[in-house]
Amino acid sequence: MVANQIVTGVLIDEVALEVEELARACRVEPDWVVRHVQAGVLGESASPRFRSGDLARARRLLELERHFDADEELAALVIDLADEVRRLRARLRALGLKDA
Amino acid sequence: MEYKDYYQTLGVDRGATADDIKKAYRKMVRKFHPDVSKHEDADAKTKEINEAYEVLGDAEKRAAYDALGRGHHAGEQFRPPPDWSEQFDFAGAGADDFFADLFAQAGRSRRGRGFQMRGDDIHATMTIDLADAYRGATRTVTLRVPKSDGAGRATMQDKTLSVNIPRGVTPGQQLRLGGQGHEGHGGAGPGDLYLEIGFAPDPRYRVEGAHVYENVPVTPWEAALGGEVAVPTPSGTVEVTIPAGSQSGRKLRLKGKGIPATVPGDLYLILDVVLPPANSDKARAVYQAMARDLAFNPRVA
Repeated sequence: MVANQIVTGVLIDEVALEVEELARACRVEPDWVVRHVQAGVLGESASPRFRSGDLARARRLLELERHFDADEELAALVIDLADEVRRLRARLRALGLKDA
Repeated sequence: MEYKDYYQTLGVDRGATADDIKKAYRKMVRKFHPDVSKHEDADAKTKEINEAYEVLGDAEKRAAYDALGRGHHAGEQFRPPPDWSEQFDFAGAGADDFFADLFAQAGRSRRGRGFQMRGDDIHATMTIDLADAYRGATRTVTLRVPKSDGAGRATMQDKTLSVNIPRGVTPGQQLRLGGQGHEGHGGAGPGDLYLEIGFAPDPRYRVEGAHVYENVPVTPWEAALGGEVAVPTPSGTVEVTIPAGSQSGRKLRLKGKGIPATVPGDLYLILDVVLPPANSDKARAVYQAMARDLAFNPRVA
């Protein structure tokens, strides 16, 4: 048993990750990140800094690409559709139209 | 530890080809994907399927798993023989699962001494209450991590961290805890821990980004005539003015009373007009008087 410690983190949204940090968090080469930013499926090409949503998105893209041998554009489309479903569900829930 | 049958998880037999395994995995992961599945335990099921595929979908890991698991059945108590894993090199196996438990013992890397590599980052989720996001809080998270004993061997251990949750955090945001990831190799530093924040369902409030929604039951006369009502909110009870002529579903916005994020969210109060029951002579008389005295037909525009 490791002793319990109190730790303070930083919100990624406040510091924003660099290309290398995002790559390391996803266990990919920085080139993977750059390629996806250039393809317009990850982050904003104007600023190569990444926030919470980008990290989650990168990990989901990677999973789809690996497990389904999906092309990056197709993986991005699947995730956009899934995000839209999540957004609509959150909307329904917020308005009290659906339980859970 | 308990033996996990990855073949059973994916519904394939032990002789399945790599292609069969991939097909079975894809079929299952589509079926149980949390975004599309109606199954209650879709999340847990997806995690199991992914864990199984991480191993069976990789020829080397599959070979190691097969070498170990011959003759074992799911759920059996199971203890790997000492040093069995020396021939395999999975020092990087970091996932929180049965396989990682097994291969934590393979810390004696074949890469030899002098090899340096920063530890992997760990990703985990943490569920907090809405109140924590309003006030900030300290919450504990427990991770299973391989811990090196210094002699080149490792065991899986529970590591408990008390994490300061910053005020103003919203669902899906990630906290990075520097140096709380996996240990490095050969003297290199540890990785980081990323914690994705989720919110526990709340009986009263719903959260959408930094905005918070709550239903407020009101009487017909409060809705019709307007008035002041006391409403419980995540930041304490507030007196709210119900505008005269309100109907059910009307949304009142309390600006900045949502989650106190960098851009603070709003609190939306959704009015629910609740009719008093007509369960006494007096109540029935009041309804009858309304029916008689108010020329009101909601079906006529």
